[in-house]
Amino acid sequence: MKPIIQPVWDLPLRLFHWLLVGLIAFSWWSGENHEMEWHRWSGYAILFLLVFRLYWGLAGGRTARFSRFVRGPRAALAYLRGSGEADVGHNPLGGWSVVSMLAILIAMVMAGLFAVDVDGLESGPLADYVSFDAGRWASDVHSLIFNLLMGLIVLHIAAILFYLLARRRNLIGPMITGSVKAVDGAAAVPLRASVWRALTGLLIAAAITYFVSKGLHL
Amino acid sequence: MSIYRTTRRIALPLAVLTLAGAVVAAPSDPKATRQASFKKMGAAMKVLKEQLAGGSPAKPGMLAAAQTVAATARQQGALFPAGSGAGTDALPAIWTQKATFDAQMAKLVAESGKLVTVVNGGNVDAIGAQFKVVGGTCAGCHKQFRADN
Repeated sequence: MKPIIQPVWDLPLRLFHWLLVGLIAFSWWSGENHEMEWHRWSGYAILFLLVFRLYWGLAGGRTARFSRFVRGPRAALAYLRGSGEADVGHNPLGGWSVVSMLAILIAMVMAGLFAVDVDGLESGPLADYVSFDAGRWASDVHSLIFNLLMGLIVLHIAAILFYLLARRRNLIGPMITGSVKAVDGAAAVPLRASVWRALTGLLIAAAITYFVSKGLHL
Repeated sequence: MSIYRTTRRIALPLAVLTLAGAVVAAPSDPKATRQASFKKMGAAMKVLKEQLAGGSPAKPGMLAAAQTVAATARQQGALFPAGSGAGTDALPAIWTQKATFDAQMAKLVAESGKLVTVVNGGNVDAIGAQFKVVGGTCAGCHKQFRADN
């Protein structure tokens, strides 16, 4: 008998995840090496991904939606105490991890948009709107937030390793293939991710990113 | 009490304090003075950059900014007495390789002086090119002598 395949993550969500991984690494590298032209491009790409993810949280497949995984502290505590999961996707605790990482990344991009380097030479596309001192402050905030982001990423990887080693549950596979083998006898529940909605999201994200990268001038 | 009177009551002592601070700070605290001056230069560079990026740069604003950079640059070299690096981004190399540092400072004075001349000349392409040279001088010296953070 062919095993039933249960979809977990839709394609746009997986692309978002892995592109973000690559872009965070590239942003770190280009920032450290003062390759600021590349660093700006990388930041715009992350901004694009974030806008798309926020949109996809409202319009995406079942497991991508905020309404599905943003739960109160009680649900998160209950999950910690060991109540099982009824469905695939983010558990109530993982949902908070996603929200924290998105919030930190948004703050990081915002700070970068206004940041000015020590020479007044390199800057984010919105730095024209603020003073040199405010731009320097944004730059300090930008690097401070980076440390917080690293902390969250370490936590994220630690949690995945915990599931893999202690719980014998591979979370990495589904983030690549998009699906798991369903429990015997269970029928697969579709994610209902729409191609047209994804394309709409790409357009919205591209338009907003372009506008911001041009310093809000058309 | 009206806002106006409150403001007046605060404004005068504040002005006196600021003046006193400026008088006291300038000769006795080279560290604070050079830091404030570097910030002034950074802000002036930002003004120049925005003017040049804008397409139709305004000469008076650019001239004032270029003069700020040039005038401040001439004073900076003398504001690094031995032992004034503690608690700042100034690297020890400033004092162990003093000749190289002084040469960089002299280069900044020369290039920022040229920038004023070029801005006066009014050729936007030339201003852009010299702006890059001055910026490269800042960055080059920072790479060697300033903690990267």
